Amino acid sequence: MREVAIVGIGGTKFGSHTDRSIRDLGVEACLKAIRDANVKPKDIEIAYAGNFAQWEWGQGLFIGQVVLRELGLTKIPITRVENGCATGSCAFREAWYKVASGACDIALAFGVEQMKVVDSSKMLSIFTGLQYAEREGDMGFTAPGLFALLARRHMEEFGTTREQLAMVTVKNRKFGALNPDSQLPNAVTLEEVLNARMICDPLTLPQCCPRGDGAAAAVLMTKELAKRYTSTPVYVAASVQVSGTYPDEESFTFFDTDVRAAKAAYEMAGLGPEDIDLAEVHDCFSSAEIVHYEDLGFCEKGEGGRFIEEGLSDRGGKIPVNTSGGLLSKGHVIGATGMSQIIEMVRQLRGQAGKRQVQGAKVGLQHNAGGFFHTDTACCVIHILKR
Amino acid sequence: MSGNQYSGKGKLIEERWFKDSPEGMVLVGSRCETCKKTFFPKKLVCPDCFDGELKEVPLSKKGKLHTYALSVMGPSDMEKPYVIGFIDLPEGIKLFAILTDCDPWDEVLKIDMEMEMVIGKIKEDEYGNSIRSYKFRPVVTEVKR
Repeated sequence: MREVAIVGIGGTKFGSHTDRSIRDLGVEACLKAIRDANVKPKDIEIAYAGNFAQWEWGQGLFIGQVVLRELGLTKIPITRVENGCATGSCAFREAWYKVASGACDIALAFGVEQMKVVDSSKMLSIFTGLQYAEREGDMGFTAPGLFALLARRHMEEFGTTREQLAMVTVKNRKFGALNPDSQLPNAVTLEEVLNARMICDPLTLPQCCPRGDGAAAAVLMTKELAKRYTSTPVYVAASVQVSGTYPDEESFTFFDTDVRAAKAAYEMAGLGPEDIDLAEVHDCFSSAEIVHYEDLGFCEKGEGGRFIEEGLSDRGGKIPVNTSGGLLSKGHVIGATGMSQIIEMVRQLRGQAGKRQVQGAKVGLQHNAGGFFHTDTACCVIHILKR
Repeated sequence: MSGNQYSGKGKLIEERWFKDSPEGMVLVGSRCETCKKTFFPKKLVCPDCFDGELKEVPLSKKGKLHTYALSVMGPSDMEKPYVIGFIDLPEGIKLFAILTDCDPWDEVLKIDMEMEMVIGKIKEDEYGNSIRSYKFRPVVTEVKR
């Protein structure tokens, strides 16, 4: 495999963009990434477009061509990618794979979603309807339900507290308040999180990520070529994608996908958790982030609650997590979420993260989990990026 | 809830999950004769060894409460709030289930407690007909007189 560099990034603000078309959102992100990379559209040889379920709420089919036509990017192979909440990361990974394998030298990946165009009950029925693999959705199995079940077992086995869960939101919203692209612009207190409306006990509303509209994009190329285009390349040290095994006999306090993907990613990068300077992890719910700390090896099994409480995932801690504000602040703009995590990581590694900058960051880990049923996520993607 | 909530009125959410037995309605899974694993719902082939013959087996009506949660939000066709959980069945299956007869849920429910299966209404279809499925409730222990 060849070494691949991320040379250009771009994204929209996440939030409500119902006054724009999904095409406009995609165009904005791709144009920014192409300009940032200083490439011409004709230099791009292949493109992947991440979009989760736009076919349920508007234009989504062949969304890649619809967006890229506006930039004169025609003729080349363009493919839409879908993999649940990990859609954006999978689009990125396809582009990386094409360059790493030598199939082409310059590739574009983007993710886009426009979720605010339907009401929340319609969206919930789409999501629960998607769970028909075991008809769990038909019986009231929801995303907050799954992560509440995970939280409860974790609390029982390891003594994780409601306060520790809420601290994840407090930390991420504090970072989110420093990110101009975040949907939720304000920090919140522990009391506000704990006393907010209950969604699925023990998870209150601020512990559940909002949905949103937006897009994010990146231009990738070989390490050799990157030298001509940028003085701040960010390299892909590992790219791993796995699917779930949905274990029955183990305690539901972890995600098997996370553990296997992390192990493979560290192996591929020749690095370990001790080398990671910061991370963007899939904090769709507060309990998810605590479990990811453990699954990714940031702390020992069962120590996730302590990890957040002792500030080890905060600024100045062992591994600052979700400096972008995470899904809990930005919103989960499904097709764009993974790409958005990647562009935050690139900003950090370039030293361009403004008030959120982690000083001296050299190696970052990006984790995106997608789709869930039974006791596992359907997909998990991890990238380790370095400067 | 009314006393007749486990009566036979209303259609089952998924006929192929259930079977009548001397013990009443039970869930049915498939067991691989080679690797001895049991699966629910029934499979066409053993996903573990892709080899063994599958035999239809009834699942235990009792299991342990692995974890639980109160869902305040939920699909529009369900009455809220409702309580959910994973039940560890002796067959090695972690079964998602709606929990019932556990009011107040945060006092009654304890992790690893014994639970038993009942059949009851979980929601209504668009015409107001009951849709029934399996649910689990704490095992009722006999009170000594």
